[in-house]
Amino acid sequence: MKRETDYGQPIKAVYTPKDIEGLDYDKDLGDPGKYPYTRGYYPNGYRSRLWTQRMTAGLGSSVETNRVLKEYRDIGQRGGMCVICDRSFAIPIDSDHPIGRKEAGVLGWPGSSLLEFEELMDGIPMTGQSVTLLSTCASGALQLAYIVAYAEKKGVNLSEIHGAGMSYPFANCFGQSDYQPLDLNVKLFLDTSEYAIRNKIKMRSAILSQHFQEAGGNNAQALAVEMAMLNELCGLLVKDRGLDFDDVAALPFELVSIGIRFFEEIAKMRALRRMWAKLAKEKFKAKKEKSCHLLIAVHTSGRTMTYQQPLNNIVRTAIETLAGAIAGCTAIDNATLDNAHAEPSPLAARMSLNTQHIVADETGVTDVADPLAGSYFVEYLTNKVEEEAYKIWNKIEELGGMIAAVKKGYIQEMVRGAMLERYKEVQSGDRLVIGVNKLAIPPEEDFEIPIKEVKAEDSEKIARRMEEWKKTRNMRLVVESLSQLYGDAKKEDRYNLMPSIIEAVKAYATAGEVMGVIRKARGLSYDPFNMIECPFSFE
Amino acid sequence: MDKGRRIKVIISMIGLDDHIVGGVVVSKILRDAGMEVVYLGTYQTPEMIVQAAIQENVDVIGISSHGSNYSQIAELMDLLRKKDMKDILVICGGTIPKKQIPKLQEKGVAQVFAPQSTSESIVNYIVSNVKGADGGPNK
Repeated sequence: MKRETDYGQPIKAVYTPKDIEGLDYDKDLGDPGKYPYTRGYYPNGYRSRLWTQRMTAGLGSSVETNRVLKEYRDIGQRGGMCVICDRSFAIPIDSDHPIGRKEAGVLGWPGSSLLEFEELMDGIPMTGQSVTLLSTCASGALQLAYIVAYAEKKGVNLSEIHGAGMSYPFANCFGQSDYQPLDLNVKLFLDTSEYAIRNKIKMRSAILSQHFQEAGGNNAQALAVEMAMLNELCGLLVKDRGLDFDDVAALPFELVSIGIRFFEEIAKMRALRRMWAKLAKEKFKAKKEKSCHLLIAVHTSGRTMTYQQPLNNIVRTAIETLAGAIAGCTAIDNATLDNAHAEPSPLAARMSLNTQHIVADETGVTDVADPLAGSYFVEYLTNKVEEEAYKIWNKIEELGGMIAAVKKGYIQEMVRGAMLERYKEVQSGDRLVIGVNKLAIPPEEDFEIPIKEVKAEDSEKIARRMEEWKKTRNMRLVVESLSQLYGDAKKEDRYNLMPSIIEAVKAYATAGEVMGVIRKARGLSYDPFNMIECPFSFE
Repeated sequence: MDKGRRIKVIISMIGLDDHIVGGVVVSKILRDAGMEVVYLGTYQTPEMIVQAAIQENVDVIGISSHGSNYSQIAELMDLLRKKDMKDILVICGGTIPKKQIPKLQEKGVAQVFAPQSTSESIVNYIVSNVKGADGGPNK
């Protein structure tokens, strides 16, 4: 068995003061609540604010997802809700698209119109809790429009809504695809971010290392990629869109994947806080202290959940949840015991939420801020992962930054290499996974867990509903608003499309129509899969 | 098939499934075992996969799957049957719930590999079940 960090640094049997020689408490750590925030943002840790305890929902119809969201509230979800979109809306294409209809409601909620969002949120408060909508860069523009349109319709004060709904433009390098080209995604990221910031809408944009890491990236790479993305995207908002960094700093939220390498995961989060604080202060010259706080939520790693002996995953989730809690975070949504089989069953969801409550209420972990600070090992690991991450980040900058590195295929190659390395380590027994390469049992002896799934007929039902509903819309309003959007999308990239996207969404234009029209205006095919023709003519 | 020809395999995701880890890893395993791999990548419809299988004249189709879009695997099997391409060995791998496995096998899928299956088990299965290839049962 390897005794190395997941990024290949040897681990010794004992750590002593020599391993952290030169560590300056005030400069490198600071008290909790003090720059460089290695020890967290709150002087009293979780006594000031407990993390948001949530589960990611989304499967089947919007009505079904709404029911599950209410169920989560009843079984211990606190502080916020989190929904993930289905595969069709991720592109985005509509639920009645020839391919989209086969995957409507698969792995998420089918959010391809404002109608779906209305059904999703029915009876669920928009304020007083964070509303987090996970999707892709392109569909994020629709989600921001849904929030604005829905708030207006319901008479909710937009400034009282907080959460996240937009997304970074690189996810399709990490197996979280949308089908849009990088330049369009970058434009949509900038448009949505600028619109939210200028209109003081407290919806954040996901700039995540989680997708990268779940695809295989190691802890040092994940930090490097996250910092390179933050650096470039925040830089663009300041330079290209003329925004103040102190406003931009309130935009990103990072979802960290917490794996099973307990001490390394904690070190990674501590290093991330320090790296962001330094970037904010030293490069972007942040004027507000708050701008040095990167909002960090935790997702316990789905990748570490095994197909074999799924009950073992309860133990893994508990360890990872504890690591996330010790590391200090704003929110946790944890993986579930059935993660390698299907979307969370009610039993699995309950177990995961219970795990968060056990960690919060029984272990004492919420009593003390950053309890592992000063551990020779943890401080060494924090320094080390940061040092390795800076090396990789510097390489990305040498290539011209994140966008350039993606265009050159450097990031994709990094993920590919990491995927293969992970597999090799388990195959060779260098990394042990209980139930897989140690203490394995024949499949027929394995414990049967309940499985929640979407059937082909469920997807077809969602598709047919959309088909029928589309005919009932006021088509004059739909066409007028899309015509405006088409004209705007032909203007230069800096022209913000959010106002016309919002108008189109209010007229119940669908995600496929909105994105299709934008694509067409930019000289792309209306349908990314070239299966349907543009039903509108604007020329 | 030609005697002594390398085993040729398509590895693909199906439909809108964009989880590529399994497909990337298995492609590497099969190449390392001396097979020729045509990696189709993401966003492949059943029709596109069958078309590629005809064009490339492959012995095996491997579908990497994450998430419940199994109806598209069933469609792929129907298409292969219609085109009388029954000789092609179809295998699947990924986070496929156990109760789906017999349904897929009923449709003609030869074998379903769980996540973290060993490279040995995948390679051996292909070598001993591919129709008429090196070391195959028809030789």
